[in-house]
Amino acid sequence: MNQPTKLPTYCYQCVCGPDLLKVVVKDGVPVAVEPNFDAVDKHPAAGRVCVKAYGLIQKMYNPRRVKQPMVRGNRRKGLDQDPEWVPVSWDEALDIVAGKLLDIRRRGLVDDVGYPRLAVTLGGAGTPQAYFGTLNVFLAVWGPVDYSLGSGQGVKCYHTEHLFGEYWHRAFIIAHDAPYTRLVISFGHNDNAAGGVTGAWRNAEARVRGMKWIQIEPHLSVTGATADEWIPIRPKTDAAFLYGMLHSVLHEMSWREVCDLGFLKWRTNSPYLIGPNGYYLRDPVTKKPLIWDSIAGEAKAYDDKSLRNPALEGEYVIKHAVEIGPDNEVTEHRGVVGRPSFSLLLEHVKPYTPEWAGGVCDVNPKTIRRLAREFVSNAMVGAEVTVDGVKMPLRPVAILMGKTVTNGWGAYQAVWARAVLQSLVGAVEVPGSILGVTIRLNRPMLDRLESVKVGEDGFMAQSLNPTDSERWEARPRVRNAYKTLSPLVLDSSWSQALGPAHLPWLFMKHPPENWPAPTPPDVWMIYRTNPMISHWDTNLLAECLKDFPFIAAFAYTHDETNWFADVLLPDNTDLEGIQLYRVGGTSYQEQFWEYVGVAIRQPVAEPPFNTMDLTDIATELADRTGLLREYNTAINRGILGFKLKTPTYDYSLDPERKYKAEEIWDRVCRAATMTLSNGRCEYGLEWFKRHGFFLIPYKRINWYLHPVMVAKKLRYELPYQERIKKVGVELRRRLHEHNITWWDRQLEEYQAMPEWDDPPKIFEELPRRFGKDPKEYRFWLVTSRSMQYSWGANVAVPVLADVAKHVMGHRAVMMNEEVGRRMGLKEGDEIWIESPIGRVKGRVLLRQGIRPDTLVALQQFGHWVTPVAKDINTPNMNKLVPLTLESTDGTGSGADVVKVKVEKVR
Amino acid sequence: MTRWGMAIDLRRCIGCQTCTIACKLDNGTPPNIYWRLVKDIEIGRYPNVKRIFLPLQCMHCAEPPCLAVCPTTATQKREDGIVYIDYSRCIGCGYCILACPYDARWLVKERRGFFNSELTKPEQLSPLNDKIGVCTKCDFCMDRIDEGLARGLNPGVDPEATPVCVGSCIAKALVFGDLDDPDSEVSRIVRERPAFRLLTEMGTEPSIYYVW
Repeated sequence: MNQPTKLPTYCYQCVCGPDLLKVVVKDGVPVAVEPNFDAVDKHPAAGRVCVKAYGLIQKMYNPRRVKQPMVRGNRRKGLDQDPEWVPVSWDEALDIVAGKLLDIRRRGLVDDVGYPRLAVTLGGAGTPQAYFGTLNVFLAVWGPVDYSLGSGQGVKCYHTEHLFGEYWHRAFIIAHDAPYTRLVISFGHNDNAAGGVTGAWRNAEARVRGMKWIQIEPHLSVTGATADEWIPIRPKTDAAFLYGMLHSVLHEMSWREVCDLGFLKWRTNSPYLIGPNGYYLRDPVTKKPLIWDSIAGEAKAYDDKSLRNPALEGEYVIKHAVEIGPDNEVTEHRGVVGRPSFSLLLEHVKPYTPEWAGGVCDVNPKTIRRLAREFVSNAMVGAEVTVDGVKMPLRPVAILMGKTVTNGWGAYQAVWARAVLQSLVGAVEVPGSILGVTIRLNRPMLDRLESVKVGEDGFMAQSLNPTDSERWEARPRVRNAYKTLSPLVLDSSWSQALGPAHLPWLFMKHPPENWPAPTPPDVWMIYRTNPMISHWDTNLLAECLKDFPFIAAFAYTHDETNWFADVLLPDNTDLEGIQLYRVGGTSYQEQFWEYVGVAIRQPVAEPPFNTMDLTDIATELADRTGLLREYNTAINRGILGFKLKTPTYDYSLDPERKYKAEEIWDRVCRAATMTLSNGRCEYGLEWFKRHGFFLIPYKRINWYLHPVMVAKKLRYELPYQERIKKVGVELRRRLHEHNITWWDRQLEEYQAMPEWDDPPKIFEELPRRFGKDPKEYRFWLVTSRSMQYSWGANVAVPVLADVAKHVMGHRAVMMNEEVGRRMGLKEGDEIWIESPIGRVKGRVLLRQGIRPDTLVALQQFGHWVTPVAKDINTPNMNKLVPLTLESTDGTGSGADVVKVKVEKVR
Repeated sequence: MTRWGMAIDLRRCIGCQTCTIACKLDNGTPPNIYWRLVKDIEIGRYPNVKRIFLPLQCMHCAEPPCLAVCPTTATQKREDGIVYIDYSRCIGCGYCILACPYDARWLVKERRGFFNSELTKPEQLSPLNDKIGVCTKCDFCMDRIDEGLARGLNPGVDPEATPVCVGSCIAKALVFGDLDDPDSEVSRIVRERPAFRLLTEMGTEPSIYYVW
């Protein structure tokens, strides 16, 4: 036997990456995976990869894979219709797909209703990008594509945090600054499952250093396990807890002593004067918002150089001012009373006492009060630290949130209260505080700091989707109408996927009034996704999919969604394909690097089955649909991350020639290294296959937005949401002008300072909509993420099941032990879990670490087609969650929570 | 003298099972056999509950009860403290499994892969394939240690000379090294942190320390 070789590659299955690894290959066969120790001093987790990467070899050699292209033999589609797959050659399969695409080009790229005839659904947040080679190039040159048919996003993501996080501080994802943080208060933020190896590594270091972690969640998760304290909170009441903390800081403590007054006065809109209609009082000439200078005793523009001491409280009479309301309506005032927005905040949170919050959350009010005290004391207001030679405030406290907290009703209140609490002590984008790690909606996507531009009223520029009568998109261009209904989701390449992505499914079968009902796309392509498992109300989805005329599925195994497909295209998996991908800088979830660069994903052995590299598939589709010239030209322009031609080098493709994947990526490798090294290094694919990655230093100061905000003299748009209030009124007007009233409830969310409107009640009352009595549904059913499975089709990889079963909840639904015993249940009993729309069966795990009113169904199982997974026999809550407008919030997201009842299987 | 041992920092472990799977892959253990794993345990009653992750493996005892009961002398202890099984002598009687108080020994009864009898190409190369009907367990990756030492590497410092589980840990919870060397990291941690070993009342003198 020859000496084994070790081939470097990357893993990006869970969005917390890419992380770097090596595959040990003996005599042409990969046999082991190990961290890439070459990166031990460069990667933030010392080159480690998590449990999932060790399943990649088995994923590759899995005999239950789709081993060759297949076409559907049975023309009928449905849950009860066996597809009767027929193997075909790649040539035949690609011809069939290309033929359907050419039909579209002949008929027109959009259908009669105005929706793109080609729709594409991708799974796993940003993860497909790290695997789909040049498929994005083909789609980019295609023309209009509908990416808005969701596979779970908006439900399974931190949706409201994504939207408001980017809005407030360019934080699509919010993380704590673990090397400095002293206290984390986590509302269900399941970092040990979702933070990736860098999260695990950084947090372990921080715990040993003494960082305190409080976990507030209905069940004791794997993250709660390493916390210093677990506080079992009633589901969906997190915002009330935070409101209680706000009250405690602002009304029970001396806020002038514990808050960061400098930050509030100079870095937020706290001193902006609010007029009687709820809008900023502005200078009548310059239209700039006014601030009361308590030293001068007069109102001044927010950026007046003579401003000395902005007032945070009180009432002030302004001789002459204007308010600019929705649709630029100007209201002129003389002798008007204005109040700093901070004053309104004080008033706003006054009713939300810890006693009130305690009752809502089922938590002792003393605990809320204590955490408020711990929060402000650990914030160390006044402390400073020097990073890369720059002195910055040190504010080592961070409030983190999980998915069910940051999506669906109640999420706006939660993210707002968190942001306000953080701002009270100046703990935003400074060492130790909450930091954004990435942006996905603003531009340029690769540079969070560069995305901060000077905008109106002293805030960073925002490019909200327009809601004025001239520019509002009355006729949606894609099926989820993101631009029409969701101003905050902006209009980038990610915006479609972050719009109300579950609405197309709902509206296909239940179109609302005065709305262009979504049509089934002529061609639906799906990649690394299985919405029949990952989406709510899968029966509704099945009804929709029956009507889809042509589905082309990139397929690892047969699964519940490609059951409806017409063609299965088995592309190369993680260890078989080739791609160069950006690494480093800051990226979600907690990838804080001191380097930036690129890493290679390479084939570690000959693919064992008749699969094809996705780059080659994309090239073939481009060629067969007459788009090869545009496709090659787009690659030359830099769509793969680096221009192939600059004044320094020229690796450009001949637009008329068809290239193999290795040739394309070799050129990208050379362009990347030349760009990153400023022309000093030119490394091709062969170099990357040996060395794995190419990195250049990235300054740690770039982790923080603070220096940019100071340099550009900008303020965070906190606590007062004047623009949100205004946009909400405008959107209501536009919709009503088109006789659309079914979005009115969602529009109520557009408040300058959100009130607690009892979000749990929405879920508690939902059974009535189905003619059921809410009292029958006594349990909250929630979910929790499994690190071992998320994501990457790992449910079909048995070695992951073999190790995941050691983590509680992978084989059963979790229930409080006392409650279970009272119901006559014992460990392992089969139970029915029933919601108003259906019931699922599973075994029960009785444990102490869960609230008596809560059940937890981990991850998303319940497969009936996917091999290996279908034998796991653990239920999926998605089948039980109704897909309704009532459960859709103003940002267009829902939450993984539903009221259920339980009964023993007899 | 050298005595190889390990310190497991319970403050760091997050129960992710990365060490479990890295061990499985490197040693080619079949389904349901775990030379190491992390137990997920709850203590207390609602709402005063603690959830604890406890990595378990062969403790490489100084006084291994498994050794004494082995009728074929298949179980051996090296001078450096590593307890291992000479598979050519093991008859799979299972006495050692009963004797081990740590449930760290696993009988491989049949040649079965993750897809039942259909062994994948990598599975066909598993070093355990010809070890059917024998008892198996963690040997601290002694081949890596020995080969590493022969190459002048330092076990516990150089990944290639260190047990696979240690190098794989994503929370730096596992520290390996020479317990007889007061300057080794493992000795330092055991000395400086509160530490315990499991079931010491049985006189086994384990080489695995848990610190917190």
